Amino acid sequence: MREASVRLVLVLTPAGQVLAQSGFSRAVDVMSAAALAAAIVASTAELARQLQQPPFAALSHQGPKHGFFLASFTAERGSLAVLAVYDLDVSSLGLVQLFYEQLAAELKAASPKGTVAKQVLAADFERELTDSLNTLFGR
Amino acid sequence: MSTALDLITRVRGVRGAMLVSADDGIVVAEQLMEGIKGSAVAALAASLAGRLRRAMEAAGTGASVFWHLQGEQGALLVVPGGKASEGAGGGAGILVVAVAEPDVNIGLVRLELLRAAEAFI
Amino acid sequence: MSLVNFTSREITCKIVYYGPGRSGKTTNLHYVYERVPETRRGRMVSLATQTDRTLFFDFLPIDLGQISGFSTRFQLYTVPGQVYYNATRRLVLQGADGVVFVGDSQARQLDENLESLQNLQSNLLEHGVDVRTVPLVMQYNKQDLPRELILTPPELDDALNFRAVPSFPADALHGTGVFETLKRISELVLKRLAAGSPAV
Repeated sequence: MREASVRLVLVLTPAGQVLAQSGFSRAVDVMSAAALAAAIVASTAELARQLQQPPFAALSHQGPKHGFFLASFTAERGSLAVLAVYDLDVSSLGLVQLFYEQLAAELKAASPKGTVAKQVLAADFERELTDSLNTLFGR
Repeated sequence: MSTALDLITRVRGVRGAMLVSADDGIVVAEQLMEGIKGSAVAALAASLAGRLRRAMEAAGTGASVFWHLQGEQGALLVVPGGKASEGAGGGAGILVVAVAEPDVNIGLVRLELLRAAEAFI
Repeated sequence: MSLVNFTSREITCKIVYYGPGRSGKTTNLHYVYERVPETRRGRMVSLATQTDRTLFFDFLPIDLGQISGFSTRFQLYTVPGQVYYNATRRLVLQGADGVVFVGDSQARQLDENLESLQNLQSNLLEHGVDVRTVPLVMQYNKQDLPRELILTPPELDDALNFRAVPSFPADALHGTGVFETLKRISELVLKRLAAGSPAV
């Protein structure tokens, strides 16, 4: 990724939740970026379905200075999407695609096979939850 | 396009030729022997072309018209397309790229690359 | 699908506000956005038409803080209510951990409420989810309107709340019932998570 001079990268689930990130400074910005990116992936996939096409592999937008690249692939336990934002000055779509192919291959290789054993949250979870909700929502 | 690439790959010792979009590093056309990853060469060559252009501007030499990178197992030869006048500023255009054996006739390849570049631009 | 990351100790849940057009889904999010401290909320993203109707979704991330050592975040989404936006509505629903159904209490909107509920059910089914298994809370909005125009919460329960899920009368514009609704759905979603049953 550093080789491709990419500024920001997100790996996300189809529901818009972030699995891995790099380059973003605030968690909340990551969340809205992921929600929007997942929406684009979902709507282009739906558009493809309605046009009876196989899902699009990738999507690229370029502005005067930055470009972004959005692609999704299927791993062992479902599909994942990658959003990358890059500088046109120091990088290019070709480089980002190259980096993406490597990343997708590594993620596929690293994704756990089958189901993982369920882990259980602590017993005091419920009490702390109630406290937290009361604090935040003030009731 | 393919005839121009044909002329390049016909030179003895040339293992492949490509046209690459200089701005986004994507293969426009290619004729490669097996084992050469076109998309990777294209992306990295285009990235290199951008950096070289800036180096040459800084050195006051004007835009590059040909580069030759010699390795132990082969050589990478590139002619950035586009007229010299626009090459420096816009950086738009096409790279004509050849991948060759180490002992290839550089002069001959260069000639074919320049011809190919002229044919397109 | 809720995301529980045991390595970074983070929980992220997705809650979708569903309901017919103009029932007040976006208004709910606006109220939450205004009342939750800035440090606990992210940017509110609205994909709306020029006339402020939701086109794709509204999105608001909020931070519940540490719960059992897990930093817990909620992502609130609304769907576009208008009937012809069903394709996007279905997309937003994907992976929801909980649903708030925002109904319009006006008597003349009853059919729209019913239609939207049926639409929720069929869209969940398309994602392979049985509506009876999803944490669901009903909110009967616009209870501030004149008595003669609206149905009472018991009447609405009779007409809409087949599953007898928690329901709240609300006036989202002024905030009545907004946090009660959110708090209840949060509890349902997180308790389900704590119980270890697989989320949607």
